[in-house]
Amino acid sequence: MKNFAHYNARSVAEATHLLAAYEGKAKLNAGGSDLIGVLKDRILPDYPEAVINIKTIPGLNTIEENDGGINIGALTKLVDIINSPLIKKNCPVLKETARTVASPQIRNVATLGGNLCQDTRCWYYRYPDGIGGMIKCFRKGGKTCHAVPGENQYHAIMGAKKCFAVCPSDTAVALTALGAVLTVAGTKGTRTLPVEEFYTPLGNMLALDEMITSVNIPKPDPAAEQAFLKFTLRKPIDFAIVSVASVITLDQGICADARIILGAVAPTPVRAHKAEEYLKGKKLSDDTAAEAAMLATVGANPLSKNIYKLEIVKTLVKRVINSGSCLS
Amino acid sequence: MITDYRYIGKPTLRKDAFDIVTGKAKFISDLTVPGMLYGKILRSPLPHALIKSINTTEAKLLPGVKAVLTYKDVPDWKAGARPQHVRVLDSKVRYVGQAVALVAAETEKIAEEAIRLIKVEYEPLPAVYDVEEAMQPDAPLIYEQFNANVLPPESRAFGPRTLQEIVIGDVDKGLAEADFVVEGTCAYENIPNPLPPETPGVIASWEGADNLTVWSASQGPHMFKVTLQPLMGGINIRSIGSPVGASYGSKYMSWQFVMPAAALSKATGKPVKLCFKKSEHLAAFTVRLGSRIHGKVGMKKDGTVTFLSGDWLVNTGAFSECAQFMIAVGCGEAQLMLRCPNWSLKPKVICTNRTASGQVRGFGGQELKCALIPLLTMAMEKANIDPVNFFKKNYVKPGDGYYWRDGEWWVCQGTDYTRAIEKGAETFGWKEKWQGWLKPTAVDGARRRGVGVGVHGNADIGEDVSEAFVRLDGDGKAIIHCSLAEHGTGQRSNICKMVAEVLQLPLERVFFTPVDSLVNPVEIGPVGSRGTYAIGNAVIAAAEDAQRQLFEKMAPLFKVTPEDLETSEGMVYVKGKPGAKLPWSKGLHYYGACLGRGRFEPDFSKPNFMIVFSEVEVDVETGKVDLIRVVCATDVGQVIDPPSLTNQLNGCLGSGGIDSALFEETIIDKRLGRIMNANMIDYKWRTFAELPEMELVVLETPVAGHRFHAIGVGEIATAPGPSAVLMAVSNAIGVRLNDYPLTPDRILNALGKVNAAKRRGKQ
Amino acid sequence: MTPTQIKPSLPTLTLNVNGKLHSFMLGEGLHEVSPSHTLAYTLRERLGLTGTKISCDEGACGCCTVLMDGKAVLSCILLTVECGEKEIVTIEGLEDPETGELDPLQQSFIDHTAFQCGFCTPGIIMSAKALLVENPSPTRDEVKEALSGNFCRCISNYHVLDAVIAAARKGGGE
Ligand SMILES: Cc1cc2nc3c(=O)[nH]c(=O)nc-3n(C[C@@H](O)[C@@H](O)[C@H](O)COP(=O)(O)OP(=O)(O)OC[C@H]3O[C@@H](n4cnc5c(N)ncnc54)[C@H](O)[C@@H]3O)c2cc1C
Ligand code: SF4
Ligand code: FES
Ligand code: FES
Repeated sequence: MKNFAHYNARSVAEATHLLAAYEGKAKLNAGGSDLIGVLKDRILPDYPEAVINIKTIPGLNTIEENDGGINIGALTKLVDIINSPLIKKNCPVLKETARTVASPQIRNVATLGGNLCQDTRCWYYRYPDGIGGMIKCFRKGGKTCHAVPGENQYHAIMGAKKCFAVCPSDTAVALTALGAVLTVAGTKGTRTLPVEEFYTPLGNMLALDEMITSVNIPKPDPAAEQAFLKFTLRKPIDFAIVSVASVITLDQGICADARIILGAVAPTPVRAHKAEEYLKGKKLSDDTAAEAAMLATVGANPLSKNIYKLEIVKTLVKRVINSGSCLS
Repeated sequence: MITDYRYIGKPTLRKDAFDIVTGKAKFISDLTVPGMLYGKILRSPLPHALIKSINTTEAKLLPGVKAVLTYKDVPDWKAGARPQHVRVLDSKVRYVGQAVALVAAETEKIAEEAIRLIKVEYEPLPAVYDVEEAMQPDAPLIYEQFNANVLPPESRAFGPRTLQEIVIGDVDKGLAEADFVVEGTCAYENIPNPLPPETPGVIASWEGADNLTVWSASQGPHMFKVTLQPLMGGINIRSIGSPVGASYGSKYMSWQFVMPAAALSKATGKPVKLCFKKSEHLAAFTVRLGSRIHGKVGMKKDGTVTFLSGDWLVNTGAFSECAQFMIAVGCGEAQLMLRCPNWSLKPKVICTNRTASGQVRGFGGQELKCALIPLLTMAMEKANIDPVNFFKKNYVKPGDGYYWRDGEWWVCQGTDYTRAIEKGAETFGWKEKWQGWLKPTAVDGARRRGVGVGVHGNADIGEDVSEAFVRLDGDGKAIIHCSLAEHGTGQRSNICKMVAEVLQLPLERVFFTPVDSLVNPVEIGPVGSRGTYAIGNAVIAAAEDAQRQLFEKMAPLFKVTPEDLETSEGMVYVKGKPGAKLPWSKGLHYYGACLGRGRFEPDFSKPNFMIVFSEVEVDVETGKVDLIRVVCATDVGQVIDPPSLTNQLNGCLGSGGIDSALFEETIIDKRLGRIMNANMIDYKWRTFAELPEMELVVLETPVAGHRFHAIGVGEIATAPGPSAVLMAVSNAIGVRLNDYPLTPDRILNALGKVNAAKRRGKQ
Repeated sequence: MTPTQIKPSLPTLTLNVNGKLHSFMLGEGLHEVSPSHTLAYTLRERLGLTGTKISCDEGACGCCTVLMDGKAVLSCILLTVECGEKEIVTIEGLEDPETGELDPLQQSFIDHTAFQCGFCTPGIIMSAKALLVENPSPTRDEVKEALSGNFCRCISNYHVLDAVIAAARKGGGE
């Protein structure tokens, strides 16, 4: 790996000030499970000048219950989320989601903040510099997207314009379903931002000097059924080809409220609004599930090699509605 | 016949077990040599281009850089299957990832930075990836000398009649006799990567003008003397092997990494270490051949095949590592599977603009079978024949003949595998599960089960020459001199068992020389399935020869003839008189030893065999295929080491084997010529979390020609699997599939669930 | 605040590997540790602990697995400079330092020939070790799950499962 200056940040203020001082040429390092690969393969047009270790910031790795709900520090490791009784009780969908990420060794170091902020996995974007040079594209300030005319079997089927890479974060899908809100700190103070609004077509809403410090999950209705399904070729290691998270509240078999979120289909997690609206007030059955599944794909515009993802979206939506619980 | 051996057939400790589990085993990447430099390769960004200019000035100025080489200053060594057409560096690049320049520097980091300072200007040329497009008159020519990108047939590798096609009998006659005739195209073109965990690596050190020492992770290090010395101007190579972090055939030829390191060492006068990164390993090293058959088969109602004709188009990528040699073996293997009187199967080896293919667990056989069996399947389906019965009827039997790679007609003198097929079918429960062609075994909502079966065999257990010495030391030790590299099969330990058994010595007192061509005789290497039979026979002969010499020396001491003596535990006895004994030292003295020699001469009369049964479950709403159960059945004559054998057979899943039917593939963007999944996340491999049930059926029908009546099967475990899975999935979903791998998009497509109207970009 | 006010990482680093402390200067010299070095690189190239293998070098294969404070982690995606406060155990640290006796898990791998080429083996043993420390009597499925990030291309997986289960039984697990 090429050299960089290295800092152990002792506080959020230190980290954000360093980010500001390096004007975009520094990277935060949490678990490193994404960042180190990015650096090794030299996929970015500008190699960072500094790496800022944020694991040395105290107090950002706790899971706590408060009035507003469940608060999870950005440096909380996925393994701790999986093992937390609080998470299991209140937001099993997040536990299920975290369980499907990567491998045990990675979950032992990977953080929630890092999972949300990880860079895209589009294989053009990730193409290693050592085999003929990295590939420039829209997302790297270039002029084209290679996925559209190329190998796009894992790319977006909806909601994309210039860049067709999908949001790789699994936890983002569950957190969107749970209506979670991020706390973001910068040199000028902190702000909050719903996970649902965090992603942009070419990245996320963080300013140069900002980082996520915690994630707040409003306490879900105890009656709500939470579910997550992730479709991959292999259970471990693989990123989602399609995933679906749902939080559905039933009142005597009638759907009182539904949040259905599609993952890995677009540059952001996608709320299946039409399906959600349709389900409300309906009795859940195979037929309503099938209709909701159809509605979830309305407006999709797949590429040459990923039409099959539509079928998988429909199947998973049907299945989360039918299973009604956290089966993966 | 003795069947209760002391070591043979019993589990014993691998000699290298302690080193492996403690991390002390030294693989090539773990070795350093004093004064060593690190090599790095600048790789081509384009699939086909001429180099207009290369500027290395800046790179050379970087402190710590000791050499920067381009095509202008590397030695004119040429490699590749004949005629030799691959230069270490060339003024033309033919695939993305091809070496363009070499750097040697004091550290890896410096070498990496230096690579980035080299400036290259290219003149891009059009590229071609499909074999049929490559043969068109207007296709870009990848080598001037290869018309229509077709490599010339090989006429020497295996003797003057080297097999390059199967032409037997009269196809028209077969056509007239057939009850059913099918015609079609079947292909196995996903070019899976063998992907051993250890990347290719080497240390090369030049001494003087013509002495080169090479430490390498090679499956056949001794072969460098045979293959590389002549290509490098008749120099002398000392080839030292280290344990290989697996090879699956791919690290056999090895010149792709040995020659660049040697060139750098020659230029710097220092040892140079060159270890690929995983991305280089995946994008610019050996993959399987692409294989496509346009064929026609005639069959009678009873499953007799009356003829087989067609073109076998073999995609070797940017060069031929040994593709013409591989089709020679592939053509031989096809005849083992199919007793057919009339053949006309014409292979063509074609170059395209992607990383080159080479030998991968098999030598052309898996690639041919994966396309040929689906073609035969089409005929079986028409004739409504159970594939197990078909394979039973058609697999070569003792007394049948076949043309082998040397173009000679060999008559099978091996085992009749009917019993292995029957036992395998019984273990699998084939009768209960088989519902007929394109019919699922069971349906449960969206989940459908299906079963399939495939076969493969190779007559390579006795291929090529092996030589070995066995030295008996006075203190009661046996030392095997043989350049057999350990690459995971446990063969070095198994050979020790054979010697311990011959000499009745405790296994702990049998030793192996390091793999070093300076001290050992010629050894082709543990390729194919030749370890047990060919190498085993050479070593056994050497041990027997050493024992004979020992008895000759000691007979006078007992005043008997050598034939009256026997040995065990390093003592010599007179047969029937346990009291009359002397230690070896009495005959050899502390300063003495006797050296036995053994040699094995090729013999292609004993095919081995593997049948693989598979059961899959397909989710027809997502297109996901799960491999549920695998049964492999074979007959090995005599098991040498039970755990080594089960390990080898379980290996059918990995190394570009069965899973190449499910999810293994090399994905190339044909606009850029780049391999998009050259990493271990996007290149899919089987994990611990998803192991199918695996059962192995191993029969032991003694085989003549080997002291312990054993033959090898390691290599062939993978080959029958992919077509078995293809058949199983076709049956599960009720739709015939002729293409690999069976990823969800393909399954959903076959089920008509991918609506073409929704396509946006062009296909 | 500018970067000059916030100091980069300390100029020295002490690593605790297999119970021994090793101090390094941070820097780019031949014997120094660079901030850009991964733990796998430092273990292999600075401490000569080559039992830790590098295969994918990007977190996908588990060959470089070591224990960090008792948990299985991938040393190829950890920066050495960030490992200062941690207890690292590598494959070389499993043997009893006094008697040289093998860890029961290592012995069980030998007894079951739970390897072929052996390149993946150190990483697999370390993952299995982490599992047994946490869960001394795992089920076969729990072992599969714990090893799901470890690549074995030779498919020694079945023998490995047998070896881990047998070691657990011997170690007092059911
Ligand atoms: C083999 C493999 C398989 C994987 N599989 C999956 C998968 O199935 N699902 C999945 O979701 N992910 C997967 N990943 C991605 C994995 O890296 C993330 O899941 C992990 O959670 C990232 O966390 P980290 O702490 O290691 O991130 P890091 O690598 O430390 O950081 C990632 C990025 O986020 C930034 N960042 C980190 N923390 C913050 C913060 N608090 N505020 C702002 N920016 C921050 C960093 O600067 C960096 O750019 C996989 C990775 C690998 C290597
Ligand atoms: S999908 Fe996005 S990241 Fe991928 S090539 Fe297109 S623009 Fe680049
Ligand atoms: S080498 Fe570290 S995970 Fe592969
Ligand atoms: S034993 Fe070879 S990869 Fe596992």
